[in-house]
Amino acid sequence: MAGAVGGASGSGRRKSLDAELNLVSFIDLLSMCICFLLMTAVWIEVGSLQVKQSHGTEGPAAVSQSHEIDLAVSSSTTLELTIKKGGKVVQKQQLKAASVEELSTQLNGALVSFVSSPAGKAAPVSAAMITSTASVSYGELIRIMDALRRNQIVNLGVVPANRDLAMAGISGGSRK
Amino acid sequence: MNLNAQHLGNRTFSRHLVSRQYQQKKRKRVIIMGLMLTSMVDMFSLLVIFLLQNFSTSPELAVVAKGVTLPASATSRELKDAPVLAISEAGIYLDQKFVGLTEELLDQPAPLMEKLQSLREVWEKSHPNQSFPGEISVQADQAISSAVVSRFMGMLPSQAFGSIQLAVVGGGRG
Repeated sequence: MAGAVGGASGSGRRKSLDAELNLVSFIDLLSMCICFLLMTAVWIEVGSLQVKQSHGTEGPAAVSQSHEIDLAVSSSTTLELTIKKGGKVVQKQQLKAASVEELSTQLNGALVSFVSSPAGKAAPVSAAMITSTASVSYGELIRIMDALRRNQIVNLGVVPANRDLAMAGISGGSRK
Repeated sequence: MNLNAQHLGNRTFSRHLVSRQYQQKKRKRVIIMGLMLTSMVDMFSLLVIFLLQNFSTSPELAVVAKGVTLPASATSRELKDAPVLAISEAGIYLDQKFVGLTEELLDQPAPLMEKLQSLREVWEKSHPNQSFPGEISVQADQAISSAVVSRFMGMLPSQAFGSIQLAVVGGGRG
């Protein structure tokens, strides 16, 4: 970095020790750095939720000793939570709320209480299958999935809708 | 005003300004404005440090399709490089290419199946002796019906795309 030493050049006079940095080039460099970083910055972070659709590609899984969850989301404010073990229903619960946020909180609470119970500790939940109707939007489905993933249930699947149900979703227009 | 070395001599610029102000003080009041360069450089440095911390060297894998607003999720993971199937009310796009109208493809999914099959064949040709991972990224609009998305998700395994990544915006409250 360039520096300029000020002071008199005349003979006999002491040279000043005041030094000034040449800040102009330094500011230029910083401005260029800021411009480059602002232009290349990623402002929206796109992530993903992993879903396994084994329908049609794999054979039936062996009967496991872990619990499995069936979620039937009938609307953005109601769902039915069914916990199974080896094909037998262990717990069935109907959840109703005023909004999808509240429903997600209620589901989270129900899952936390099951996971912390002796039965849940003995055989953790391994997978969850979600069935939704045409009136449930994709954003609301992701919220429900979020509640499951927060409770370490990461093996998620979505039951494919039939043609008529999907057509009803299209004709219903935008949900939000 | 030409402020070259001839005018300034060996003096620094700030000294020159002070002496000029002193000389002119008796005649009229002169206001000399100076930039506070130190604080400006401090601010610039902090900005550069902040932007460097947020700087991502990984390439932007997902180009969000037009007309698609991704839902937010608090439990999202890093998006892997995979073919992108974009689902919106208007149409279906596979790797940024228009495949067909959503309503038509729900009824007759053959064009989508053909495109998926050709994608798989291209991958298998370019990666001999490797098993097909079957990964696909699904970008769907948050307002679209979940039945539409699940219908398309149900079609994917028939072409060996069984590992589906649902694209979301990270950092949501969930």
